[in-house]
Amino acid sequence: MLRFAVLAVAVLATGSASAETLTIGINATLSGAGAVFGEGMALAATNFADEVNAKGGLKIGGKSYTIELKKYDDRYRAQDAVTAMERLILEDKVKYVVGPMGSASTLATQARTNGDQILTLTMAFTPKALSPQLPFSFRPAITTAEFTGPQLAWLGKTLALKRVRALAPNDETGQSVAASQKEAYAAIGVNLEVDFFERERVDFIPILTRALAQTDALEIGGNSPTTAGLLVKQARELGYKGPIFVTGGDVTAELVKVAGKQAAEGVYVHLPIDISKPETAGYIKAFEAKFKQPANGHNLFIYSGLQMLTAAMQKAGTVDDTAKVAKELQGLANFPTVLGTAGWTGDKRYGIDHQIDVPFYVGQIKDGVVAKVATCSVTACN
Amino acid sequence: MSMETILAQTVVNGLMVGMIYMLMAIGFTMVFGIMRIVNFAHGEFYMVGAFMFAIFYGSYEVPFALSLLLAIVTTALVGLVMERLVFSRFRGNELNGMIASVGVALIMQNAALLIWGPSPRSVPAVVSGVISFGGIVFPWSRVVVIIGALIAVGLLYVLIAHTQLGRAMRAVAQDAEIALAQGIRVEVIFPLAFVLGVALAALAGALMAPVLSVSPFVGLAPTLKAFVIVVIGGLGSVPGAVAGGLLIGLIESFAGTFMSAALAEILQFIVVIAVVLLRPQGLLGRKEREA
Amino acid sequence: MRAQDGNKRLRFGAIILAVLIAILFPRFAPNQFYVHLGTVGCLNLMFVLGLAIISRAGQLSMGHAGFALVGGYVSALLSMKAGWPALLGVLAAGLVAAAIAAALGWIILRLRGVYFVLVAFSFGQIAVLLALDMSDITGGANGIVGVPPLSLFGYSLASKPDFYPFALACALATLLFTWMLYRSPFGDRMAATAENQRLTESSGVDTHATQVIAFTIGSGIAGMAGALSVHYFRFISPDSFTFWESVSYLTMLVVGGSAGAFGPVVGVLVLTPLPEMLRATQGLQHIIYGAVLVLCLLFVPEGLSSIPRRLSQRYRATPGPDTSTPAGTRR
Repeated sequence: MLRFAVLAVAVLATGSASAETLTIGINATLSGAGAVFGEGMALAATNFADEVNAKGGLKIGGKSYTIELKKYDDRYRAQDAVTAMERLILEDKVKYVVGPMGSASTLATQARTNGDQILTLTMAFTPKALSPQLPFSFRPAITTAEFTGPQLAWLGKTLALKRVRALAPNDETGQSVAASQKEAYAAIGVNLEVDFFERERVDFIPILTRALAQTDALEIGGNSPTTAGLLVKQARELGYKGPIFVTGGDVTAELVKVAGKQAAEGVYVHLPIDISKPETAGYIKAFEAKFKQPANGHNLFIYSGLQMLTAAMQKAGTVDDTAKVAKELQGLANFPTVLGTAGWTGDKRYGIDHQIDVPFYVGQIKDGVVAKVATCSVTACN
Repeated sequence: MSMETILAQTVVNGLMVGMIYMLMAIGFTMVFGIMRIVNFAHGEFYMVGAFMFAIFYGSYEVPFALSLLLAIVTTALVGLVMERLVFSRFRGNELNGMIASVGVALIMQNAALLIWGPSPRSVPAVVSGVISFGGIVFPWSRVVVIIGALIAVGLLYVLIAHTQLGRAMRAVAQDAEIALAQGIRVEVIFPLAFVLGVALAALAGALMAPVLSVSPFVGLAPTLKAFVIVVIGGLGSVPGAVAGGLLIGLIESFAGTFMSAALAEILQFIVVIAVVLLRPQGLLGRKEREA
Repeated sequence: MRAQDGNKRLRFGAIILAVLIAILFPRFAPNQFYVHLGTVGCLNLMFVLGLAIISRAGQLSMGHAGFALVGGYVSALLSMKAGWPALLGVLAAGLVAAAIAAALGWIILRLRGVYFVLVAFSFGQIAVLLALDMSDITGGANGIVGVPPLSLFGYSLASKPDFYPFALACALATLLFTWMLYRSPFGDRMAATAENQRLTESSGVDTHATQVIAFTIGSGIAGMAGALSVHYFRFISPDSFTFWESVSYLTMLVVGGSAGAFGPVVGVLVLTPLPEMLRATQGLQHIIYGAVLVLCLLFVPEGLSSIPRRLSQRYRATPGPDTSTPAGTRR
């Protein structure tokens, strides 16, 4: 109903008819364990669409487009992501998709979306998500491949590290994060030993007993927020007093809740967001006031991605020619988003500049909240 | 850490986690022994117990022991409802009862998901800190769990071995028809046994809630563990569940510490298959004749 | 007699009509997405038929998805690493799955039904764990991408309108096979074993062998269907066939009914569109599956496909033959 009202207002406001709809699809995990990230993506898109529509729609090539969203749940399973993507492409006839979220889902659908020239903003951490053979796949999220190197180089400089042990879940995220970590630790002269465990495990005392017996630091990036919290808690219970690194996704809030302030004190984390930046803080405040929910990393990444995507559409002057839009999108540099100034990178690692380039940070948990201790780009941290 | 300390810590870890497994397995095997139902939903009662405890203790700040009790009672009520509505109608039809239990598990897990959301929630710690003897560490939180488990098993033993009710339950487990002929009110024993099994699962969940965390998905893992343990110990045998629980805890601890965590999982299933091959009635079960 | 003849002709006509609709379905479909659903339905039918065959002999396989997973990986790896034509890979997948089932079945089926279920279930779990761990071969959690499509006489069945007829043909072939199996003397042995194993055993039938053979055939079909689906989705991962799939197939079987060969068709038709209708909601699908499962078992234990028969029995002058329940005996 609201959408029609907005449409009506848009039509009246622009005077001339030309009120069209741009349907954007959302293919993410909206149920089950990964739902908090998928929800973040979906809400970011909803927020973006609401704001744009309230201003009279997206003005592209002399026409005004109301953004409509089609949301489907992939239940964190590749097969469901494939079916959802089919539905978006064939039935809903979308050309732009927010998602998929998981690595397996992205891998399963990328041949299809690129073959049909569907532009996707994927959040998958796997390095296989981007390549010159996938000209329509973009990734508006900073992944372990980007931040592990610079962060660990900085940590290696600040603390003396010889042996580090990592604990990662035996799933797609864990396996690819572990691969990035091995590479990055090797670059600072540390032979990282990784222990994998099944994703549902909650009792880590046995594997911690082994891991902590001979290590200078514990690396737990790549784990879900709760698992990270449990690992920290149980490690401290076993009497481990050394440094703990979470060189992985944004897990701080949950980690502190699960592990408790005392155990979490001093843990080094990866920080995708700097709330001291006015554009970031402003966005978070407005979002939380409107939706009454915290804004997580996935949320801001997708919002930034949409900011860039629509700017690219406007530059290309079309919504139908996705090849043109993709070219314009790739060409954006120094573009202002809610995360700061953004561009694209990735040519060296993936062969194509479709990886978002925004600053990120090393954080350390102090008294239950994370404090920024270094600012980073894909090259280095200070 | 020296090798002896690691070994000793591994044994202690194994026993600590084995206690919880034991609680889960006892409830599961009791329900099978008396009602002949393989209850795929057993772990969901563990999950509900954990949530109830999290709500009473975490959100309403009810004192610890009372929270435990309330968690058990509320979950037991849910169990009673399930028994009356669903399980009682499948007596005599084991396979359909088992399929129905899968349906119940789906309903419970996803109802919890709809009510409480997917995010795991943490429960404030009951106790903190550790005690250590000669380099071996006992986190206090787990010591509490062990004490709770031992008390529960002790009470259960008294119930089964030394009360009339216990004797009636054992009679029904042995042969329901003859028990009926002897005047035992089988119609009351069945729901009672089910509720008792559920209560044990709920206790396990409530005790573990502050140690791990609580989410609608925590139920599947305990169900799988209960299967493995009960097959090894013997379907229907309570002493078997105790022995099996501790054994699996030790295997998991040793495999997890000295091999890899992934191998530990596979190893347990292999042990199941081996037991089924070599001693199908389990370590302490009775030899079952085909019906 | 004449009423029965007329009845038979009616049923035959209905079946022909249904097959025609299925064949012409892509013409009426508003877009290719529905053809995709149709293909998924055909694949589901094959899985459920495999499960039905096992259940017909009185056993219940909670590890059915494990065989699909094994079949899928075997075919994917053979066609990608060994360069085998996909069709051959599918056949090999079925044989491998059947071989594993035969070995497992021979060892395990000697035990009480309940133990068998638990071990079959364990097999399903082990299959997933192995797929996750043997990442050098299986690609680990990320799975295998870019699995080649099936090709028939040099013609590649990569697109939806191309694959659907093939999937339909396979599903119908499986259905025909199941129907003939049920009517064969072996089918009678299966039913007798399920009804009363001891009695059947005492009349000279090797019930253990009967159940193993049924388990082998049913799991082999699952392996083949798993391979077919991998060449359609062009992708496989340890998440493709898990316990949840085993539960799905079981639900379809229970809802449809396993007494006859057509029960699975009903179950698949009813439950395949369900996840799609609920895809925009969050998590309702699982609750509905659970509720449907329980309600069916309570009120329609022989499945929806038994309803016409039960209705016609009620209106007949003479009482009809007693029907046995899908699994176990009923009090």
